Amino acid sequence: MSFEELEHTADVLMRVRGADLAEIFADAGRAMFHVMYGPCEDRGIERQFSLEAENLESLLIDYLSELLFITDVENIVFCSFDVDIRGTRLSAVLRGEPFDPARHSAGSLVKGVSYFGLEIVKEEEGYVVEIIFDI
Amino acid sequence: MLEGINMIGDLEWEVPIGYVPDMRVPGRFFLSRALAETLEEGAVRQLANVATLPGIVKHSLAMPDIHWGYGFPIGGVAAFDMTEGVISPGGVGFDINCGVRLIATPLTEADLAGKKRELIERLFSAVPTGVGAKSALRVSNKDLTAVMVDGARWAVERGFGTGADLVRCEAEGAMPGADPDAVSAKARQRGVPQIGTLGAGNHFLEVQVAREIVDPEAAKVFGIAEGQVCFMVHCGSRGLGHQVATDHLRTLESALAGYRIHLPDRQLACAPIDSPEGRAYYGGMVCAANYAWANRQVIMHEAKKVFAELFGIDYDAMRLIYDVAHNVAKFERHDVDGASTEVCVHRKGATRAFGPGAPGIPREYAGVGQPVIIPGSMGTSSFLLHGTTTAMQKTWGSTCHGAGRVLSRSKAKKEVRGKELREHLAGEGILVRAHSDSALAEEAPEVYKPSREVVRVVHEAGLSNIVVRLEPLGVIKG
Repeated sequence: MSFEELEHTADVLMRVRGADLAEIFADAGRAMFHVMYGPCEDRGIERQFSLEAENLESLLIDYLSELLFITDVENIVFCSFDVDIRGTRLSAVLRGEPFDPARHSAGSLVKGVSYFGLEIVKEEEGYVVEIIFDI
Repeated sequence: MLEGINMIGDLEWEVPIGYVPDMRVPGRFFLSRALAETLEEGAVRQLANVATLPGIVKHSLAMPDIHWGYGFPIGGVAAFDMTEGVISPGGVGFDINCGVRLIATPLTEADLAGKKRELIERLFSAVPTGVGAKSALRVSNKDLTAVMVDGARWAVERGFGTGADLVRCEAEGAMPGADPDAVSAKARQRGVPQIGTLGAGNHFLEVQVAREIVDPEAAKVFGIAEGQVCFMVHCGSRGLGHQVATDHLRTLESALAGYRIHLPDRQLACAPIDSPEGRAYYGGMVCAANYAWANRQVIMHEAKKVFAELFGIDYDAMRLIYDVAHNVAKFERHDVDGASTEVCVHRKGATRAFGPGAPGIPREYAGVGQPVIIPGSMGTSSFLLHGTTTAMQKTWGSTCHGAGRVLSRSKAKKEVRGKELREHLAGEGILVRAHSDSALAEEAPEVYKPSREVVRVVHEAGLSNIVVRLEPLGVIKG
């Protein structure tokens, strides 16, 4: 896992690191599902979508918001996040399993993804971003 | 205490213009010296950031449950001029009209003897809770439009409660100005299966006893006596509200440049109140707020049925005392420099606290002021208060909404064992039912400021006065 939870009083603040943008986006999705559901297995359910935005930060918000929408409406817990990024266009293939209250109820419901302090920063060895999930 | 902040009264502090660049008005917040130790610089900075928004009137305000959020601080209140001002989802939050209602039953604590565990189990079965919870209700897309326009009235017309409930809700359970066209298909998809569900996180249904009557006259007006068993429902607009907030925040963020609004925090994305984007957000937000009132109405109804069946009491003998919103923006008339003026008041993690005689409160409560409900945190007291004239003058008729967190969720999980917490609370006579012990740990009483101290501040600052202190007997958690 290349995400870590930082201190935040009210919500959940995650720092995500990745070698490239695709990894950052994949791990941001993984981090959000980790917050919500805990352990998850690939049991053959697959979903995919594409998005385009005016900048990378908005693309990240749109992508995570789309994941929230899918999990809420379809009751799917994702554990595999395959993301392809070209410019400010994204296509994602997600794999996971049906929500099972017995195994997936230990987490916190994410209500939304905040723009607060959101900046995808390029560093020497890759990218880093800090994201606040409203709980 | 933080540098650059001035204490201007026993419980009142000022954040002067200049604390962050481009502030238009000073910040003001209410806090005791004891609670000042818990104040985060990030929360004060957010309070100051709000003061940079166009058209803000008088002050950027925060209540004593102030803490670091995103956009507005939690506990934040601000009013905006209807012409020059803006409306911002960051001043409302993702859970639109997250709120709380209090219901008095005719039971006493003694009546619960031997049946408390069964009561909590039955409530847990009757009210869908937790992540992934779905409603047993079948609601069509057309029904959902009616929910978004009519709010709690929709629920009452479907048999979930009585007409008397409606007058005891803020805005009578439905704000005007709903625009169902401003609610996306995605938000609708999320809303249809979730009506009557509690949600997760800090949402709960708590059975309580009125342990201490502080203001007997007001308590009589509100219809609550010492020793009376009550229950409290705390939840919001579920996925529908979250999606409305997400959708409009995105639109407003993209529209910012067109309005030449420069912000210190993109989460404060906003638009002029009377602009296409501003009107659309307001219309969508009202839909979500009305959904939340319908949601709490359905949950209350299901809980009342459980009480009626288990204790053999009349459904109608259980009386809704009041329902208040926490996260909402409203058009209200307030005194601005001696003139009654319409402004757009944002309350994010704050409660309306209109005083005696103020318009918009139930006639039966007009002499006292509106009921204000401040929940505790499973193991700590909750409070029923009333609004005041001072609140009308100082805080746009607002007060705090809860205790306010002091410990992060990650620290809470490291420091608190959910199982031990559950057993400890059971030892104190408080039965807690949740889907997981780890979710309990995140909401342990010690992760919040002491509710008594927070409520003492609003009481002594005159923003709302304590009427009744309630103690928890049992809780179902999301």
